Amino acid sequence: MLNIDVAKVAELINRHVSGANATAFLPEDTKKLDGSVTVEAAKIFSVVEFLKTNSELPFNSLHVISGVDYLEHMEVCYMLTHYDPASPRDLILKVRLTDRVAPAVDSIVRLYPAANFQEREVYDMFGIRFNNHPDLRRILCPDDWQGWPLRKDYVAQKDYNGMSVYPDGKMNFDDREFIVRQDMIKKAQQAKAQ
Amino acid sequence: MQTRWDVGEPEKPTINIETEQLKSDLLTLNMGPQHPATHGVLRIEIWTDSEVVAHAIPHLGYLHRCMEKHSENLDFRGVIPFVDRLDYLASMNMEWTYVAAVEKMLGTEVPRRGELLRILTAELQRIGSHLMAFGTYALDLGAFTPFLYAFEEREKILRLFEEVSGARLLYNYIWVGGVWNDWTSEQLDRVATFCDTMEEEAKKYHELVSMNKIFVQRTANVGVYSLQDCFDYGASGPVLRGSGLSWDLRKNVPYSLYPEFDFNVPVGTGEVGQVGDCWNRYYVRMREVVESIKIIRQVLAKLEPGPVMGKVPKIIKLPKGEIYLRHECPRGELAFHLVSEGDAKQPYRLKVKSPCFTHVSMLPRVAPGQMIADFVATVGSIDIVLGEVDR
Repeated sequence: MLNIDVAKVAELINRHVSGANATAFLPEDTKKLDGSVTVEAAKIFSVVEFLKTNSELPFNSLHVISGVDYLEHMEVCYMLTHYDPASPRDLILKVRLTDRVAPAVDSIVRLYPAANFQEREVYDMFGIRFNNHPDLRRILCPDDWQGWPLRKDYVAQKDYNGMSVYPDGKMNFDDREFIVRQDMIKKAQQAKAQ
Repeated sequence: MQTRWDVGEPEKPTINIETEQLKSDLLTLNMGPQHPATHGVLRIEIWTDSEVVAHAIPHLGYLHRCMEKHSENLDFRGVIPFVDRLDYLASMNMEWTYVAAVEKMLGTEVPRRGELLRILTAELQRIGSHLMAFGTYALDLGAFTPFLYAFEEREKILRLFEEVSGARLLYNYIWVGGVWNDWTSEQLDRVATFCDTMEEEAKKYHELVSMNKIFVQRTANVGVYSLQDCFDYGASGPVLRGSGLSWDLRKNVPYSLYPEFDFNVPVGTGEVGQVGDCWNRYYVRMREVVESIKIIRQVLAKLEPGPVMGKVPKIIKLPKGEIYLRHECPRGELAFHLVSEGDAKQPYRLKVKSPCFTHVSMLPRVAPGQMIADFVATVGSIDIVLGEVDR
């Protein structure tokens, strides 16, 4: 992330978008880690609209939308960028979703067409619905796949259209990868139970 | 009535049909998943009206290998071979981007020779990748010979990479802290010879393809992306530069040792056709090959004996936090959103910003109104690798 003062961006958003409640996060070691701005999920459309159209700190392009599952909440991260050789800048804009059953946030496809595929991918991987998205379907998994693969408590379905997902005798379940995975699922389920 | 070939008065049709009222239904045509023009397993559902594309819908996921999920279960070093398999034609660049993200969070210093060798491999890989793009693009448009020319030169690069890393395509060569293996002076001499021959070859390619009348007619003014389209869809790399913006991360947001190097950023100028068309995207790539040669020559001049690996802890544990790091790869800007939990041996989340994924999402933008053959030219010109699209 480059050339961005997250505190200034948060202050700008708060001044122009009412109810956005933007908070800046700046890590202790800014050389190693990136800061971010978190806003209210309900206001994401107006915030992004403001960031795109304002004259002080415009962002003319959306790079990617990434989701992160932190168990107690999920985050959708919007990586905004400004393609301008004179003053390039990046911003990580986040919204926090506490509802795991039916998480939803407004779509920003009308502002950046790039969001179309990106939001579909977040929906595919995390089950986060994007309101007013023109074509919200799974994109990388098959349409009839069950579950949301990148959630931490995800357990893959046993069979898919009559095919075994983990065929007996063909998988090495003692592999380190599976052990780490099992620990992760156990941890997620414990967090869920509490 | 004017006929297409303008051969005078046409014969009167024997059946009296009002052609204006003849409105046919749209025909659905599946291009792919196994189709040479899609450069991998991409299916594009095309709705056609006779030979004109009315609508194109890309269907992705045929090569989805759950790379992001896998990486959450592997330690930080174990992810590198998986990153290789994203864009298998530019593995060195993929590795470097991921490793740079880990190094930044770790705060590792890379020795100068290691960093220079990274630039050397990345630029050689860029040439290799652009040669592949050049060869297959000409093949898409019906010219077979350039493909063989391109592979002859690319083979020299692969030979060198095979000698230093042990593999031809998926290297696992760039490690956290430096590179795995040093180059011998004999190998570096061969790189210098390669630069000389490649420069001559590039001129030959331009004579053979770039200004070829048939090639120009197939690509000029076809599949035009305006600069605004590129911003809207977040395009980068040769697509963005082909549309006329001088934007290269190596120049505009310099990382590594790139500020020390003298090179130009080729931009689409529309010598034939208009800015942002297929021909300009192709031509930007071909000029980038020459710029890469320039960089490689400077690397060779700067190289001095020294260590290639820095000091890295045996078990890598990153501080709690996140990072978003971008590098300029042959197909555009690759970026990693790496989230670390702190005190864990594996990434908490690794999101890949794939340039090809972005570029595939741009296809429906230009498809309506194109002829099918022009659409094939457009798909070829954005140079996608499906390993990176589907991850």
